[in-house]
Amino acid sequence: MELYNQTAASLAKMLQNKECSSVEATQSVLDRIAAVEDTVGAFVTVTGEEALRRAKEIDDRRAAGEELPPLAGVPVAIKDNICTKDVKTTCSSKMLENFVPPYNATVMERLNREGTVMVGKLNMDEFAMGSSCETSYFKKTKNPHNPEYVPGGSSGGSAAAVAAGEAFVSLGSDTGGSIRLPASYCGVIGLKPTYGSVSRYGLVAFASSLDQIGPFGRCVADVAMTYSAICGHDPYDATSANRAYPQFTVGGAGDMKGKVIGIPKEYFGLGVSAEVHDRVMKAAELFEKNGAVLKEVSLPSTPYALSAYYIISSAEASSNLARFDGVKYGYRTPEFENLTDLYEKTRSEGFGDEVKRRILLGTFVLSSGYYDAYYKRAKLLQKQIQQEFSETFSSCDLLLTPTGTDTAFRLGEKESDPLSMYANDICTVTVNIAGLPAISVPCGNAANGLPVGMQLIAPKFEEQRLFTAAGCYEALTEQPLCPVASL
Amino acid sequence: MKVDVKRLAKLARIRISEEQEVRYEQQMQDIIEMVEKLPPLESRDSLVDPDHPMTLRKDVPSAPYKRDDILKNAPQVQAGCVVVPKVIE
Repeated sequence: MELYNQTAASLAKMLQNKECSSVEATQSVLDRIAAVEDTVGAFVTVTGEEALRRAKEIDDRRAAGEELPPLAGVPVAIKDNICTKDVKTTCSSKMLENFVPPYNATVMERLNREGTVMVGKLNMDEFAMGSSCETSYFKKTKNPHNPEYVPGGSSGGSAAAVAAGEAFVSLGSDTGGSIRLPASYCGVIGLKPTYGSVSRYGLVAFASSLDQIGPFGRCVADVAMTYSAICGHDPYDATSANRAYPQFTVGGAGDMKGKVIGIPKEYFGLGVSAEVHDRVMKAAELFEKNGAVLKEVSLPSTPYALSAYYIISSAEASSNLARFDGVKYGYRTPEFENLTDLYEKTRSEGFGDEVKRRILLGTFVLSSGYYDAYYKRAKLLQKQIQQEFSETFSSCDLLLTPTGTDTAFRLGEKESDPLSMYANDICTVTVNIAGLPAISVPCGNAANGLPVGMQLIAPKFEEQRLFTAAGCYEALTEQPLCPVASL
Repeated sequence: MKVDVKRLAKLARIRISEEQEVRYEQQMQDIIEMVEKLPPLESRDSLVDPDHPMTLRKDVPSAPYKRDDILKNAPQVQAGCVVVPKVIE
Protein backbone atom coordinates (compact mmCIF):
# COMPACT_ATOMS: atom_id res chain seq x y z
CA MET A 1 0.00 0.00 0.00
CA GLU A 2 1.30 3.43 -0.98
CA LEU A 3 1.89 5.82 1.91
CA TYR A 4 -0.67 8.36 0.64
CA ASN A 5 -3.42 5.83 1.46
CA GLN A 6 -2.68 6.02 5.18
CA THR A 7 -4.70 8.25 7.47
CA ALA A 8 -2.88 11.05 9.28
CA ALA A 9 -3.30 9.10 12.53
CA SER A 10 -1.74 5.92 11.13
CA LEU A 11 1.01 7.87 9.38
CA ALA A 12 1.76 9.71 12.65
CA LYS A 13 2.30 6.35 14.35
CA MET A 14 4.54 5.13 11.52
CA LEU A 15 6.58 8.33 11.76
CA GLN A 16 6.93 7.99 15.53
CA ASN A 17 8.00 4.35 15.17
CA LYS A 18 10.38 5.37 12.36
CA GLU A 19 8.70 2.92 9.98
CA CYS A 20 8.81 5.68 7.37
CA SER A 21 10.09 9.24 7.11
CA SER A 22 8.20 12.47 6.50
CA VAL A 23 10.22 12.89 3.28
CA GLU A 24 8.87 9.54 2.05
CA ALA A 25 5.29 10.41 3.03
CA THR A 26 5.61 13.85 1.41
CA GLN A 27 7.12 12.36 -1.77
CA SER A 28 4.30 9.82 -1.90
CA VAL A 29 1.72 12.63 -1.73
CA LEU A 30 3.61 14.71 -4.33
CA ASP A 31 3.77 11.69 -6.67
CA ARG A 32 0.05 11.18 -6.17
CA ILE A 33 -0.57 14.85 -6.97
CA ALA A 34 1.51 14.50 -10.15
CA ALA A 35 -0.46 11.39 -11.13
CA VAL A 36 -4.04 12.56 -10.51
CA GLU A 37 -4.03 16.36 -10.49
CA ASP A 38 -4.80 16.61 -14.22
CA THR A 39 -8.07 14.82 -13.49
CA VAL A 40 -8.94 16.28 -10.08
CA GLY A 41 -7.60 19.84 -10.25
CA ALA A 42 -7.70 20.39 -6.48
CA PHE A 43 -4.66 22.68 -6.23
CA VAL A 44 -4.05 26.28 -7.21
CA THR A 45 -0.42 26.10 -6.05
CA VAL A 46 1.73 23.05 -5.25
CA THR A 47 4.68 23.82 -2.98
CA GLY A 48 6.64 20.61 -3.58
CA GLU A 49 10.17 21.84 -3.09
CA GLU A 50 9.42 23.72 0.10
CA ALA A 51 7.40 20.73 1.38
CA LEU A 52 10.33 18.34 0.91
CA ARG A 53 12.69 20.79 2.61
CA ARG A 54 10.29 21.09 5.55
CA ALA A 55 9.80 17.30 5.74
CA LYS A 56 13.57 16.80 5.86
CA GLU A 57 13.80 19.33 8.69
CA ILE A 58 11.15 17.42 10.71
CA ASP A 59 12.91 14.10 10.00
CA ASP A 60 16.20 15.58 11.19
CA ARG A 61 14.62 16.87 14.38
CA ARG A 62 13.06 13.48 15.04
CA ALA A 63 16.35 11.72 14.33
CA ALA A 64 18.03 14.04 16.84
CA GLY A 65 15.66 12.69 19.49
CA GLU A 66 13.31 15.66 19.76
CA GLU A 67 9.77 14.97 21.12
CA LEU A 68 7.43 16.11 18.34
CA PRO A 69 3.63 16.77 18.35
CA PRO A 70 1.37 14.09 16.77
CA LEU A 71 0.96 15.85 13.42
CA ALA A 72 4.70 16.48 12.94
CA GLY A 73 5.76 15.44 9.45
CA VAL A 74 2.20 14.92 8.15
CA PRO A 75 1.55 16.46 4.69
CA VAL A 76 -1.41 18.87 4.73
CA ALA A 77 -3.00 21.22 2.19
CA ILE A 78 -4.69 24.56 2.78
CA LYS A 79 -7.65 26.35 1.21
CA ASP A 80 -6.47 29.33 -0.81
CA ASN A 81 -8.29 31.92 1.31
CA ILE A 82 -6.05 31.23 4.34
CA CYS A 83 -2.98 33.46 4.36
CA THR A 84 0.34 31.64 4.01
CA LYS A 85 3.48 33.73 4.39
CA ASP A 86 5.43 33.98 1.12
CA VAL A 87 3.03 31.60 -0.66
CA LYS A 88 0.37 33.03 -3.00
CA THR A 89 -3.12 33.26 -1.49
CA THR A 90 -5.53 33.92 -4.33
CA CYS A 91 -9.06 33.17 -3.03
CA SER A 92 -9.34 31.68 -6.55
CA SER A 93 -9.95 35.22 -7.80
CA LYS A 94 -8.32 37.35 -10.46
CA MET A 95 -8.46 40.09 -7.81
CA LEU A 96 -5.82 38.30 -5.70
CA GLU A 97 -4.09 36.34 -8.46
CA ASN A 98 -0.67 37.63 -7.42
CA PHE A 99 -1.23 38.32 -3.73
CA VAL A 100 1.60 36.97 -1.54
CA PRO A 101 0.76 37.51 2.14
CA PRO A 102 3.58 38.92 4.28
CA TYR A 103 2.17 36.99 7.27
CA ASN A 104 0.65 33.66 8.28
CA ALA A 105 -2.93 33.15 9.40
CA THR A 106 -3.05 32.06 13.04
CA VAL A 107 -4.11 28.54 11.98
CA MET A 108 -0.95 28.33 9.85
CA GLU A 109 1.22 29.43 12.76
CA ARG A 110 -0.41 26.68 14.82
CA LEU A 111 0.01 23.99 12.17
CA ASN A 112 3.65 25.03 11.68
CA ARG A 113 4.19 24.73 15.42
CA GLU A 114 2.75 21.19 15.16
CA GLY A 115 5.32 20.42 12.48
CA THR A 116 2.93 19.73 9.60
CA VAL A 117 4.25 19.86 6.03
CA MET A 118 2.22 22.03 3.64
CA VAL A 119 2.12 20.60 0.12
CA GLY A 120 0.02 23.36 -1.45
CA LYS A 121 -2.94 25.70 -1.67
CA LEU A 122 -6.37 24.48 -2.68
CA ASN A 123 -8.91 25.61 -5.22
CA MET A 124 -12.24 27.05 -4.10
CA ASP A 125 -15.23 29.02 -5.28
CA GLU A 126 -14.12 32.63 -5.78
CA PHE A 127 -13.96 34.31 -2.35
CA ALA A 128 -15.73 31.19 -0.98
CA MET A 129 -18.96 32.14 -2.74
CA GLY A 130 -20.49 29.04 -4.27
CA SER A 131 -21.47 25.44 -3.63
CA SER A 132 -19.72 23.67 -6.49
CA CYS A 133 -16.15 25.04 -6.83
CA GLU A 134 -17.13 26.19 -10.33
CA THR A 135 -16.84 29.95 -9.66
CA SER A 136 -13.03 29.70 -9.28
CA TYR A 137 -11.22 32.06 -11.67
CA PHE A 138 -8.55 29.43 -12.34
CA LYS A 139 -10.13 26.03 -12.86
CA LYS A 140 -12.97 23.71 -12.00
CA THR A 141 -12.09 21.05 -9.44
CA LYS A 142 -13.64 17.63 -10.16
CA ASN A 143 -15.15 15.09 -7.80
CA PRO A 144 -12.49 12.34 -7.38
CA HIS A 145 -15.21 9.67 -7.20
CA ASN A 146 -16.47 10.68 -10.65
CA PRO A 147 -14.79 13.56 -12.49
CA GLU A 148 -17.99 14.42 -14.36
CA TYR A 149 -19.41 15.65 -11.08
CA VAL A 150 -18.63 18.68 -8.90
CA PRO A 151 -16.76 18.26 -5.61
CA GLY A 152 -19.11 20.71 -3.87
CA GLY A 153 -18.05 24.06 -2.54
CA SER A 154 -16.81 26.35 -1.63
CA SER A 155 -13.95 24.29 -0.14
CA GLY A 156 -14.07 21.91 -3.12
CA GLY A 157 -10.29 21.64 -3.45
CA SER A 158 -9.92 20.85 0.26
CA ALA A 159 -12.42 17.97 0.08
CA ALA A 160 -11.22 16.64 -3.29
CA ALA A 161 -7.53 16.65 -2.29
CA VAL A 162 -8.22 14.55 0.82
CA ALA A 163 -10.60 12.22 -1.07
CA ALA A 164 -8.02 11.71 -3.84
CA GLY A 165 -5.08 11.03 -1.53
CA GLU A 166 -3.38 14.33 -2.44
CA ALA A 167 -3.16 15.31 1.24
CA PHE A 168 -3.73 13.51 4.53
CA VAL A 169 -5.74 16.35 6.01
CA SER A 170 -6.70 19.80 4.76
CA LEU A 171 -8.17 23.04 6.01
CA GLY A 172 -11.23 24.71 4.54
CA SER A 173 -13.61 27.44 5.62
CA ASP A 174 -17.35 27.25 6.18
CA THR A 175 -19.71 30.24 5.99
CA GLY A 176 -22.92 28.44 5.05
CA GLY A 177 -21.85 24.84 4.45
CA SER A 178 -18.57 25.29 2.57
CA ILE A 179 -16.79 22.54 4.53
CA ARG A 180 -19.66 20.13 5.13
CA LEU A 181 -21.19 20.11 1.63
CA PRO A 182 -17.94 19.25 -0.23
CA ALA A 183 -17.08 16.72 2.50
CA SER A 184 -20.43 15.09 1.84
CA TYR A 185 -20.04 15.16 -1.97
CA CYS A 186 -16.47 13.80 -1.85
CA GLY A 187 -17.02 11.14 0.82
CA VAL A 188 -14.70 12.55 3.49
CA ILE A 189 -15.24 13.94 6.99
CA GLY A 190 -15.49 17.71 7.41
CA LEU A 191 -15.88 19.71 10.62
CA LYS A 192 -17.35 23.19 10.90
CA PRO A 193 -16.26 24.21 14.41
CA THR A 194 -18.13 26.43 16.88
CA TYR A 195 -17.96 30.10 15.88
CA GLY A 196 -15.13 31.64 17.88
CA SER A 197 -13.23 28.42 18.58
CA VAL A 198 -10.79 28.75 15.66
CA SER A 199 -9.11 32.09 14.97
CA ARG A 200 -10.11 33.84 11.74
CA TYR A 201 -6.99 36.00 11.74
CA GLY A 202 -5.55 35.63 8.25
CA LEU A 203 -8.70 34.13 6.73
CA VAL A 204 -9.76 36.41 3.88
CA ALA A 205 -13.15 37.61 5.12
CA PHE A 206 -16.37 36.73 3.33
CA ALA A 207 -19.06 37.06 6.06
CA SER A 208 -17.18 37.67 9.28
CA SER A 209 -20.00 36.74 11.69
CA LEU A 210 -20.46 33.34 10.01
CA ASP A 211 -17.01 32.33 8.65
CA GLN A 212 -15.12 29.57 10.45
CA ILE A 213 -12.02 27.56 9.52
CA GLY A 214 -12.17 23.78 9.95
CA PRO A 215 -10.47 20.50 9.00
CA PHE A 216 -11.11 17.69 6.51
CA GLY A 217 -9.87 14.13 6.99
CA ARG A 218 -10.43 10.51 6.04
CA CYS A 219 -11.08 9.35 9.61
CA VAL A 220 -12.56 10.91 12.73
CA ALA A 221 -9.23 10.84 14.58
CA ASP A 222 -7.59 12.95 11.85
CA VAL A 223 -10.28 15.60 12.06
CA ALA A 224 -10.18 15.63 15.89
CA MET A 225 -6.38 15.86 15.88
CA THR A 226 -6.31 18.72 13.38
CA TYR A 227 -9.09 20.59 15.16
CA SER A 228 -7.21 20.20 18.42
CA ALA A 229 -4.15 21.74 16.78
CA ILE A 230 -5.93 24.82 15.40
CA CYS A 231 -8.52 25.71 18.08
CA GLY A 232 -7.90 28.13 20.92
CA HIS A 233 -7.96 31.78 21.84
CA ASP A 234 -6.23 34.34 19.65
CA PRO A 235 -5.93 37.99 20.66
CA TYR A 236 -5.69 38.88 16.94
CA ASP A 237 -9.35 37.87 16.41
CA ALA A 238 -11.78 39.93 18.49
CA THR A 239 -14.46 37.24 18.13
CA SER A 240 -12.16 34.46 19.34
CA ALA A 241 -13.49 32.74 22.49
CA ASN A 242 -11.24 32.82 25.52
CA ARG A 243 -11.73 29.41 27.08
CA ALA A 244 -9.98 26.10 27.71
CA TYR A 245 -10.47 23.15 25.36
CA PRO A 246 -10.50 19.52 26.52
CA GLN A 247 -8.29 16.74 25.22
CA PHE A 248 -10.49 15.37 22.44
CA THR A 249 -11.11 11.64 22.13
CA VAL A 250 -12.71 9.59 19.37
CA GLY A 251 -15.80 7.56 20.29
CA GLY A 252 -16.02 3.77 20.06
CA ALA A 253 -18.84 1.37 19.16
CA GLY A 254 -20.58 1.50 22.54
CA ASP A 255 -20.22 5.19 23.25
CA MET A 256 -23.65 6.38 22.07
CA LYS A 257 -25.48 4.23 24.63
CA GLY A 258 -28.19 6.32 26.31
CA LYS A 259 -27.44 9.40 24.19
CA VAL A 260 -30.44 11.19 22.72
CA ILE A 261 -30.21 12.00 19.01
CA GLY A 262 -32.77 14.52 17.80
CA ILE A 263 -34.12 14.07 14.28
CA PRO A 264 -35.45 17.49 13.19
CA LYS A 265 -38.33 16.68 10.85
CA GLU A 266 -37.99 19.90 8.81
CA TYR A 267 -34.58 18.77 7.50
CA PHE A 268 -36.07 15.72 5.83
CA GLY A 269 -38.51 17.79 3.76
CA LEU A 270 -36.69 20.66 2.00
CA GLY A 271 -36.29 18.70 -1.23
CA VAL A 272 -34.11 15.97 0.29
CA SER A 273 -33.91 13.03 -2.15
CA ALA A 274 -35.39 9.67 -1.17
CA GLU A 275 -31.96 8.04 -1.31
CA VAL A 276 -30.32 10.59 0.97
CA HIS A 277 -33.28 10.34 3.37
CA ASP A 278 -32.91 6.57 3.39
CA ARG A 279 -29.12 6.53 3.98
CA VAL A 280 -29.29 9.06 6.82
CA MET A 281 -32.15 7.19 8.53
CA LYS A 282 -30.19 3.93 8.18
CA ALA A 283 -27.35 5.60 10.08
CA ALA A 284 -29.86 6.78 12.71
CA GLU A 285 -31.12 3.20 13.08
CA LEU A 286 -27.56 1.96 13.50
CA PHE A 287 -27.08 4.41 16.38
CA GLU A 288 -30.40 3.24 17.85
CA LYS A 289 -29.43 -0.42 17.60
CA ASN A 290 -26.33 0.42 19.58
CA GLY A 291 -28.09 2.09 22.45
CA ALA A 292 -28.85 5.65 21.32
CA VAL A 293 -32.35 7.05 21.70
CA LEU A 294 -33.90 8.68 18.62
CA LYS A 295 -36.30 11.54 19.17
CA GLU A 296 -38.25 13.47 16.56
CA VAL A 297 -37.87 17.20 17.14
CA SER A 298 -38.97 20.36 15.35
CA LEU A 299 -37.03 23.48 14.37
CA PRO A 300 -39.88 25.44 12.79
CA SER A 301 -37.84 28.38 11.42
CA THR A 302 -35.66 26.12 9.24
CA PRO A 303 -37.48 26.88 5.96
CA TYR A 304 -36.65 30.60 6.36
CA ALA A 305 -32.98 30.06 7.17
CA LEU A 306 -31.78 30.25 3.58
CA SER A 307 -33.26 33.73 3.15
CA ALA A 308 -31.71 34.95 6.39
CA TYR A 309 -28.38 33.41 5.41
CA TYR A 310 -28.17 35.03 1.98
CA ILE A 311 -29.20 38.41 3.41
CA ILE A 312 -26.69 38.40 6.29
CA SER A 313 -23.80 36.83 4.39
CA SER A 314 -24.20 39.06 1.32
CA ALA A 315 -24.54 42.19 3.47
CA GLU A 316 -21.26 41.38 5.21
CA ALA A 317 -19.62 40.39 1.93
CA SER A 318 -20.51 43.68 0.27
CA SER A 319 -18.85 45.47 3.16
CA ASN A 320 -15.84 43.15 3.45
CA LEU A 321 -15.11 43.18 -0.28
CA ALA A 322 -15.20 46.98 -0.46
CA ARG A 323 -11.49 46.83 0.38
CA PHE A 324 -10.67 45.45 -3.07
CA ASP A 325 -10.38 48.73 -4.91
CA GLY A 326 -7.09 48.48 -6.81
CA VAL A 327 -5.24 50.87 -4.52
CA LYS A 328 -3.00 49.13 -1.98
CA TYR A 329 -2.94 45.50 -3.04
CA GLY A 330 -4.52 43.06 -5.44
CA TYR A 331 -5.49 43.60 -9.06
CA ARG A 332 -5.49 47.11 -10.56
CA THR A 333 -6.99 47.86 -13.96
CA PRO A 334 -4.24 48.95 -16.37
CA GLU A 335 -5.99 52.05 -17.70
CA PHE A 336 -8.18 54.55 -15.89
CA GLU A 337 -9.08 58.22 -16.02
CA ASN A 338 -9.65 59.08 -12.37
CA LEU A 339 -10.13 57.47 -8.95
CA THR A 340 -13.76 56.42 -9.45
CA ASP A 341 -12.84 54.98 -12.82
CA LEU A 342 -9.99 53.05 -11.15
CA TYR A 343 -12.37 51.59 -8.53
CA GLU A 344 -15.11 50.65 -10.97
CA LYS A 345 -12.89 49.13 -13.63
CA THR A 346 -10.74 47.26 -11.11
CA ARG A 347 -13.76 45.72 -9.40
CA SER A 348 -15.60 44.93 -12.63
CA GLU A 349 -12.56 43.22 -14.15
CA GLY A 350 -11.26 41.63 -10.93
CA PHE A 351 -14.44 39.99 -9.59
CA GLY A 352 -16.37 37.15 -11.23
CA ASP A 353 -20.14 37.01 -11.75
CA GLU A 354 -21.13 35.29 -8.51
CA VAL A 355 -19.09 37.66 -6.37
CA LYS A 356 -20.71 40.62 -8.13
CA ARG A 357 -24.19 39.18 -7.56
CA ARG A 358 -23.50 38.82 -3.83
CA ILE A 359 -22.06 42.32 -3.57
CA LEU A 360 -25.14 43.72 -5.35
CA LEU A 361 -27.49 41.74 -3.08
CA GLY A 362 -25.61 42.92 0.00
CA THR A 363 -25.70 46.50 -1.24
CA PHE A 364 -29.43 46.18 -1.83
CA VAL A 365 -30.34 44.79 1.61
CA LEU A 366 -28.26 47.42 3.35
CA SER A 367 -29.40 50.36 1.23
CA SER A 368 -31.62 53.02 2.74
CA GLY A 369 -35.29 52.08 2.77
CA TYR A 370 -34.61 48.35 2.66
CA TYR A 371 -32.44 47.82 5.76
CA ASP A 372 -35.37 47.20 8.17
CA ALA A 373 -37.27 44.96 5.76
CA TYR A 374 -34.32 42.72 4.98
CA TYR A 375 -31.21 42.92 7.12
CA LYS A 376 -32.92 43.66 10.41
CA ARG A 377 -35.56 40.99 9.87
CA ALA A 378 -32.86 38.46 8.97
CA LYS A 379 -30.96 39.28 12.17
CA LEU A 380 -34.17 38.79 14.18
CA LEU A 381 -34.74 35.45 12.49
CA GLN A 382 -31.16 34.53 13.36
CA LYS A 383 -32.01 35.06 17.02
CA GLN A 384 -35.13 32.94 16.70
CA ILE A 385 -33.16 30.11 15.05
CA GLN A 386 -30.58 30.26 17.85
CA GLN A 387 -33.34 30.01 20.44
CA GLU A 388 -34.99 27.06 18.70
CA PHE A 389 -31.69 25.17 18.67
CA SER A 390 -30.98 25.89 22.30
CA GLU A 391 -34.47 24.72 23.35
CA THR A 392 -34.00 21.52 21.34
CA PHE A 393 -30.64 20.82 22.95
CA SER A 394 -32.26 20.85 26.39
CA SER A 395 -33.70 17.43 25.51
CA CYS A 396 -31.14 16.10 22.97
CA ASP A 397 -27.40 15.53 23.01
CA LEU A 398 -27.04 15.89 19.25
CA LEU A 399 -29.05 16.44 16.10
CA LEU A 400 -28.81 14.29 12.98
CA THR A 401 -29.74 15.60 9.50
CA PRO A 402 -28.66 15.12 5.88
CA THR A 403 -25.69 17.35 4.88
CA GLY A 404 -26.86 18.00 1.31
CA THR A 405 -30.26 17.40 -0.21
CA ASP A 406 -28.71 15.05 -2.76
CA THR A 407 -25.37 13.62 -3.91
CA ALA A 408 -23.01 15.72 -6.05
CA PHE A 409 -24.47 17.12 -9.28
CA ARG A 410 -22.89 17.22 -12.72
CA LEU A 411 -20.43 19.96 -13.67
CA GLY A 412 -22.30 22.80 -15.33
CA GLU A 413 -25.71 21.49 -14.23
CA LYS A 414 -26.53 24.40 -11.92
CA GLU A 415 -23.93 26.92 -13.02
CA SER A 416 -26.31 29.31 -14.78
CA ASP A 417 -29.06 29.14 -12.16
CA PRO A 418 -28.02 30.91 -8.92
CA LEU A 419 -31.19 29.93 -7.06
CA SER A 420 -30.84 26.19 -7.55
CA MET A 421 -27.18 26.55 -6.53
CA TYR A 422 -28.15 28.42 -3.35
CA ALA A 423 -30.69 25.71 -2.46
CA ASN A 424 -27.85 23.19 -1.95
CA ASP A 425 -27.04 24.90 1.35
CA ILE A 426 -30.48 24.51 2.92
CA CYS A 427 -29.43 21.86 5.49
CA THR A 428 -26.16 23.52 6.46
CA VAL A 429 -26.80 27.30 6.76
CA THR A 430 -28.74 27.11 10.04
CA VAL A 431 -25.62 25.86 11.82
CA ASN A 432 -23.64 28.96 10.79
CA ILE A 433 -26.54 31.24 11.65
CA ALA A 434 -26.62 29.73 15.16
CA GLY A 435 -22.80 29.56 15.51
CA LEU A 436 -22.90 25.82 16.29
CA PRO A 437 -20.39 23.06 15.54
CA ALA A 438 -21.35 20.35 13.02
CA ILE A 439 -19.61 17.50 11.25
CA SER A 440 -20.39 15.80 7.95
CA VAL A 441 -19.71 12.06 7.91
CA PRO A 442 -20.14 9.72 4.91
CA CYS A 443 -23.04 7.29 5.41
CA GLY A 444 -22.94 5.12 2.31
CA ASN A 445 -23.23 5.61 -1.42
CA ALA A 446 -26.23 6.33 -3.63
CA ALA A 447 -27.12 4.23 -6.67
CA ASN A 448 -25.00 6.55 -8.85
CA GLY A 449 -21.95 5.46 -6.83
CA LEU A 450 -21.48 8.87 -5.22
CA PRO A 451 -21.17 9.36 -1.46
CA VAL A 452 -24.00 10.57 0.79
CA GLY A 453 -23.21 12.61 3.89
CA MET A 454 -24.98 12.94 7.22
CA GLN A 455 -24.63 15.98 9.43
CA LEU A 456 -24.32 15.80 13.20
CA ILE A 457 -24.94 19.07 15.07
CA ALA A 458 -23.96 19.79 18.70
CA PRO A 459 -24.38 22.71 21.12
CA LYS A 460 -21.69 25.41 21.12
CA PHE A 461 -18.21 24.17 22.11
CA GLU A 462 -19.40 20.54 22.29
CA GLU A 463 -17.19 19.29 19.44
CA GLN A 464 -16.40 16.30 21.67
CA ARG A 465 -19.99 15.05 21.20
CA LEU A 466 -19.42 15.12 17.43
CA PHE A 467 -16.18 13.14 17.69
CA THR A 468 -17.92 10.64 20.01
CA ALA A 469 -20.87 10.10 17.66
CA ALA A 470 -18.83 10.13 14.43
CA GLY A 471 -16.23 7.81 16.01
CA CYS A 472 -18.97 5.45 17.15
CA TYR A 473 -20.42 5.35 13.62
CA GLU A 474 -16.96 4.76 12.17
CA ALA A 475 -16.37 1.87 14.58
CA LEU A 476 -19.74 0.32 13.69
CA THR A 477 -19.29 0.38 9.91
CA GLU A 478 -17.48 -2.58 8.41
CA GLN A 479 -15.99 -0.83 5.37
CA PRO A 480 -13.52 2.03 5.76
CA LEU A 481 -15.60 5.20 5.97
CA CYS A 482 -13.53 7.27 3.52
CA PRO A 483 -11.47 5.11 1.15
CA VAL A 484 -9.11 7.07 -1.13
CA ALA A 485 -10.83 7.44 -4.53
CA SER A 486 -9.37 5.13 -7.15
CA LEU A 487 -8.31 7.34 -10.05
CA MET B 1 -40.38 44.41 -6.86
CA LYS B 2 -38.37 46.17 -9.53
CA VAL B 3 -34.67 46.17 -8.79
CA ASP B 4 -32.61 49.10 -9.99
CA VAL B 5 -29.44 47.19 -10.83
CA LYS B 6 -27.72 50.23 -12.31
CA ARG B 7 -28.10 52.14 -9.04
CA LEU B 8 -26.91 49.19 -6.93
CA ALA B 9 -23.91 48.76 -9.20
CA LYS B 10 -23.06 52.44 -8.85
CA LEU B 11 -23.27 52.20 -5.06
CA ALA B 12 -21.04 49.11 -5.08
CA ARG B 13 -18.53 50.65 -7.55
CA ILE B 14 -19.10 47.89 -10.06
CA ARG B 15 -19.65 48.62 -13.72
CA ILE B 16 -22.21 46.50 -15.53
CA SER B 17 -22.36 46.54 -19.30
CA GLU B 18 -25.62 47.04 -21.21
CA GLU B 19 -25.71 43.39 -22.26
CA GLN B 20 -25.07 42.20 -18.71
CA GLU B 21 -27.75 44.46 -17.29
CA VAL B 22 -30.77 42.44 -18.44
CA ARG B 23 -29.33 39.19 -17.09
CA TYR B 24 -28.32 40.73 -13.78
CA GLU B 25 -31.68 42.41 -13.36
CA GLN B 26 -33.56 39.13 -13.80
CA GLN B 27 -31.19 37.23 -11.52
CA MET B 28 -31.29 39.88 -8.81
CA GLN B 29 -35.07 39.98 -9.01
CA ASP B 30 -35.25 36.20 -8.50
CA ILE B 31 -32.75 36.27 -5.65
CA ILE B 32 -34.56 39.10 -3.87
CA GLU B 33 -37.86 37.28 -4.31
CA MET B 34 -36.27 34.29 -2.58
CA VAL B 35 -34.80 36.21 0.35
CA GLU B 36 -38.08 38.09 0.87
CA LYS B 37 -39.58 34.92 2.31
CA LEU B 38 -39.18 35.82 5.96
CA PRO B 39 -41.84 35.48 8.63
CA PRO B 40 -43.14 38.62 10.37
CA LEU B 41 -40.93 39.16 13.39
CA GLU B 42 -41.19 41.63 16.19
CA SER B 43 -38.10 43.49 17.27
CA ARG B 44 -37.67 42.54 20.91
CA ASP B 45 -34.23 43.29 22.17
CA SER B 46 -30.76 44.04 20.94
CA LEU B 47 -29.22 42.00 18.16
CA VAL B 48 -25.87 41.70 19.88
CA ASP B 49 -24.96 38.17 20.96
CA PRO B 50 -24.45 38.28 24.75
CA ASP B 51 -22.44 35.02 24.60
CA HIS B 52 -19.82 36.77 22.53
CA PRO B 53 -18.33 39.73 24.29
CA MET B 54 -15.65 40.95 21.93
CA THR B 55 -12.42 42.11 23.47
CA LEU B 56 -10.14 44.55 21.78
CA ARG B 57 -6.38 44.51 22.09
CA LYS B 58 -4.49 47.44 23.52
CA ASP B 59 -3.30 49.65 20.70
CA VAL B 60 0.32 48.55 20.85
CA PRO B 61 2.30 47.94 17.66
CA SER B 62 3.46 44.34 17.57
CA ALA B 63 3.67 42.83 14.10
CA PRO B 64 7.21 43.14 12.84
CA TYR B 65 6.36 43.96 9.24
CA LYS B 66 8.75 45.92 7.11
CA ARG B 67 7.35 48.58 4.81
CA ASP B 68 9.02 47.01 1.78
CA ASP B 69 7.35 43.66 2.48
CA ILE B 70 3.92 45.26 2.61
CA LEU B 71 4.58 47.27 -0.56
CA LYS B 72 5.47 44.13 -2.51
CA ASN B 73 1.72 43.59 -3.01
CA ALA B 74 0.95 47.13 -4.12
CA PRO B 75 0.02 47.59 -7.80
CA GLN B 76 2.29 50.62 -8.25
CA VAL B 77 4.99 51.92 -5.93
CA GLN B 78 7.26 54.94 -6.01
CA ALA B 79 9.74 56.06 -3.36
CA GLY B 80 8.24 53.78 -0.71
CA CYS B 81 4.69 54.99 -1.38
CA VAL B 82 1.63 53.55 -3.17
CA VAL B 83 0.91 55.50 -6.35
CA VAL B 84 -2.75 56.52 -6.77
CA PRO B 85 -4.52 58.80 -9.22
CA LYS B 86 -5.06 62.42 -8.28
CA VAL B 87 -7.75 62.59 -5.57
CA ILE B 88 -8.16 66.33 -5.06
CA GLU B 89 -8.86 68.54 -8.06
